[in-house]
Amino acid sequence: MGRGGFFGRYLRVDLGQKRAEHVPLDEATLRAVVGGVGLGALLLGRETPPGFDPLGPEAALVLAFGPLVGTPLTTSAKLAFVAKSPLTGRISDGLSSSAFAIAGKRAGVDAIVLVGAAEEPSIVLVDEAGATLVPCPELWGRDFAISEASERLGQAYPDHRFAVIGVAGERLVRYAGIANDGRHAGRGGLGAVLGAKRVKAIGVRGIRPVPLADAEATLRIAKDLARRSLGPATEKYRSLGTVANLSTFNRLAALPTRNFQASTFEDARRIEGEALHETRERGRGSCKSCTIGCEHFFEVRPGQRPVKMEYENLFALGPLCGIGDPEVVLRASSACDELGIDTISAGGTIAFAMECAEKGLFPAGPLAEEARDLVFGAGERLLSMLEDIARRRTPLGDLLAEGSRRAAEIVGGEAPSFAPHVKGLEIPGYEPRALQTMALGFAVGTRGADHNRSGAYEADFSGKVNRFEPDAAEAAEHAVAAEDRAAVMDSLILCKFLRRAMDDFYGESAEMLRAVTGLPFEAKDLVEAAGRITLVRRLFNEREGWTPAEDTLPARFFEEKLPGGAAKGAGIDRARFARSIDAYHARRGLDERGFVPAEVAREMMAWMGGKYR
Amino acid sequence: MVTIELYGVARLRAGREVIELDARSLGEALLGLGATCPVLEPSIVAGGRLAPGWLVALNGAQITADPETPLGDGDVVVLVSADAGG
Repeated sequence: MGRGGFFGRYLRVDLGQKRAEHVPLDEATLRAVVGGVGLGALLLGRETPPGFDPLGPEAALVLAFGPLVGTPLTTSAKLAFVAKSPLTGRISDGLSSSAFAIAGKRAGVDAIVLVGAAEEPSIVLVDEAGATLVPCPELWGRDFAISEASERLGQAYPDHRFAVIGVAGERLVRYAGIANDGRHAGRGGLGAVLGAKRVKAIGVRGIRPVPLADAEATLRIAKDLARRSLGPATEKYRSLGTVANLSTFNRLAALPTRNFQASTFEDARRIEGEALHETRERGRGSCKSCTIGCEHFFEVRPGQRPVKMEYENLFALGPLCGIGDPEVVLRASSACDELGIDTISAGGTIAFAMECAEKGLFPAGPLAEEARDLVFGAGERLLSMLEDIARRRTPLGDLLAEGSRRAAEIVGGEAPSFAPHVKGLEIPGYEPRALQTMALGFAVGTRGADHNRSGAYEADFSGKVNRFEPDAAEAAEHAVAAEDRAAVMDSLILCKFLRRAMDDFYGESAEMLRAVTGLPFEAKDLVEAAGRITLVRRLFNEREGWTPAEDTLPARFFEEKLPGGAAKGAGIDRARFARSIDAYHARRGLDERGFVPAEVAREMMAWMGGKYR
Repeated sequence: MVTIELYGVARLRAGREVIELDARSLGEALLGLGATCPVLEPSIVAGGRLAPGWLVALNGAQITADPETPLGDGDVVVLVSADAGG
């Protein structure tokens, strides 16, 4: 083991047996997958049997830290929650930034793995000695907002930092998230995984410093990176935040609107980032240990607590649902955060239901009756729907708590053709027909439609490809490169907003790892790790039933052209898209159907452990 | 006459959304933009070129940073940050 960064062990907590043990991790394994999502994927495969129920006791929830957590490097206070998604049935890894990540790492572990299920609603308290299960009847089933539950936990255990689920996680909403310090590991329903284990919160207390192999070099790199993090490459995030995307995307006709029926929104001016900044901005914030400070808080009503808003929340709860009232969108975003549900999946699933309602697709009876006023633009109805979903308190709320794919299968008819998901994960705020390299990134993503594990939109926005009709090989090249870089950033773990502040991503990342860990990381090691991490995820998905048919998009994107704006008439050609998928598989080193070749799988499994095939 | 539309940080800094000027190429348009809005120099436009991290979408569609791109009467230059994601 090196001299810093890693502790060389993880804490395995068996909730059913009320037992915790430290399990060693060898240096070769840690070097191979780095940490974060890479380590999380590896441990998830090791700790679970093939075909397990993501909401069953045999499921594992992994909290994986990276080697840089707890160091002076900017944006490094991050961890990955990794599990099999109850929404997709495939791997899901949600990242979150907070003091929780630092405290967890400083408990002297590289990861925490929860297996089994508690007999009664409980919290898990972790420290260097191990873990304790504490019943929490006072918190479970009480309908507390996440902020209130967090506050109560903080008062009861002031030495611990907490990751908490909301009412949606308790009710097993398939896109419930996990919150810590106001940040959310939102995607894929990992909050439901925790809820199924009857765990309301995980508290961590860590006081052991993360060792640095070369403290002087680490500090020098940290200072330089912090300086660059304040340069022009991040000005957008500092000045306006990600909400700045909305007006640009609208102008480029890449803004998903009314459940992807259009890509421009007539009310975009009311909710665009520039307008919010001018009229409602009330402050900025940042994640723990971050110098960028991309969080922007906006006023809902005078006297009320301002709400943090990101582009994905804004698009999903605004244009995607046909809503252009900034107050409604801010309230909806806040409601998702307090109920503990993913904003993208919530907005996507409700937008899907709005289209079903407008087309009269709900079967006659309670569903159709409840959906009668669920029309695009109905802001107050959106707000009440979020509450119904999080509590599963009405027939329609219960249906939509299952996500758009399952809901569409139940509604039937033409509904599955426009349910806005890939592999069950609702599509983020990038219109695939207007950004067709990103469309490929969505289709092949191991987590489903995913803007965080594939940044292929950068190619579309770069002018290097024709965003309406990219060459198949070029699109595949860009999709692999974007996915690889994300795999490494999410394993280190560092914030992706640093990407343009780094001139030589793989070289600089290796330099950081050498300084922190003392291990001989080189750029080529990280290039190899990037591909390996993606293959580990794909092997897990293959084990859990992935088929090549899942690497696609909903029929709408092939069959309907965009109706207006700068992308008017754009559609995705099925044959060309199929060639792009084939090119991706070839570039990724997969076989012609997209499976990990048998000899590669055998070689990887030899060191991964666990049964992947 | 060419129209330049500003979005995001560029709009915030310039305090304007739209600028109209005569230009026969993107380079000429960017020179004119820099002269009209000096606050955009040099981090967004620099001497008739786009600074790193900035692009234009010609008429909202074709994305380019090439200053030789010809412009005609009525063209719209949409100035956008290349950091489109998040």
